[in-house]
Amino acid sequence: MSEDAVDSLFQALYSLTDIREIFRKTSPHHELTEDQKKQMDELIEKVRKNLDEIEGEMLE
Amino acid sequence: MIGDALESRAREELFINLNPIQAAGRLTPEAMKTMISYGDGYSTCDWCQHPFRLDKIDKPPIAEFHTDLPEFLGMDEARVVPGARRGFQAVVSSLVDEGDTVLASALSHYTEFLSVEQVGGIIREVPVNEKNVHTGKATGEKVEEVKEGTGELPKLIFVDHFDYTYGNEHEVEEIVRVANEHDIPVLYNGAYTVGVMPVHGKELGVDFLVGSGHKSFASPAPSGILATTDEWADKVFRTTEMEGDVTGRSFGIKEVEMLGCTLMGSNVIAMMASFPRIRERVENWEEEVDKAEYFLEEFLKIEGNKVLSEMPRKHTLVKVDTRESFDQIAKGHDRRGYFLYDELKERGIIGIFPGATRTWKMNTYGLTWKQVKYLAKSFQEIARKYDIQVEE
Repeated sequence: MSEDAVDSLFQALYSLTDIREIFRKTSPHHELTEDQKKQMDELIEKVRKNLDEIEGEMLE
Repeated sequence: MIGDALESRAREELFINLNPIQAAGRLTPEAMKTMISYGDGYSTCDWCQHPFRLDKIDKPPIAEFHTDLPEFLGMDEARVVPGARRGFQAVVSSLVDEGDTVLASALSHYTEFLSVEQVGGIIREVPVNEKNVHTGKATGEKVEEVKEGTGELPKLIFVDHFDYTYGNEHEVEEIVRVANEHDIPVLYNGAYTVGVMPVHGKELGVDFLVGSGHKSFASPAPSGILATTDEWADKVFRTTEMEGDVTGRSFGIKEVEMLGCTLMGSNVIAMMASFPRIRERVENWEEEVDKAEYFLEEFLKIEGNKVLSEMPRKHTLVKVDTRESFDQIAKGHDRRGYFLYDELKERGIIGIFPGATRTWKMNTYGLTWKQVKYLAKSFQEIARKYDIQVEE
């Protein structure tokens, strides 16, 4: 059972959802404040980490 | 794309959406996450155990939500329902018989009519005053009129706290006072209040309180809330007493008006997920109204623009009149009324009815200050482009 990979999958989707919220709050021009840029950066990093975990568990 | 036929809906991500009924139904990020995780049909039923009813499920904590919800609303009992209309339906079906009269305002939602028609009742409309407000006085007069005409009192009075047309506030407390004088129960339609502003049913003195998840509780459609007091809970949430004549089957504590379990799956979980933010955001209602006021102040600087809703605003939903401004441009424009829609869309703004340049509705709820200021600036920019005067 790939419990960790599935957990990483959901965490990635949730982080992407938080990114989605930033798009919503900054529409239509998506000019991010410094705080939003920092938050976006952290979320992207989290998604990358989650994808690495999925890749590591499922493909290596 | 989702499959070959469904586009991703990215209106909220790409645009400022002014759609008057969408604003407070936009999901919180938490609710969006539940749609990912709890979308499967019977996702709420994984741990459903005796006595087998949605509002009794502990995992996920739906039972706890059903304890928190009436407390939040200042009522005794609450159920989630598939939309406010199903709340109206449950109450009317419990209280109104064929030929009975029910009062609703001339600005009431059409589903109030349908819920009464379904049981063979008769809706009588209470006229609104010159300011488009449903008053206690007019309600009292209508009660007397019905009593004189039929020999009986109305069985129920609907009161929409804020209506869907103007977003005007109606005289809930005065209407309740009149209803109490005649011992007529009151159903409070909070489709535009529950989830955006503080609402306390018992302080208002209402017997039934209905909210809309998809209009004002940051939840997917259909979703809603029906809450009531101890006095009425046994009637509206009565449990089944029927038995099958062949099998002898009966269905325990299933509630008749709820048709057993109500709002299953991701919709109820999304309501639960949005609930903590809902608790917070109702405390920020004044700021939301301030944003609407700011926008309108700027909007009214455009020569010819008018606001048809009551002023100063008490709600973020507003009906405006641009017959003397944008509609004059539409008359000579190749795209006629669509020119305004086009100009707004070009600026990343959608949600007003395509083609509308006469009277139309919008809602600024949930927009950031930056978005509201941009919105105001955009309308003024469009006005200037077509040589409509804008007060500096």
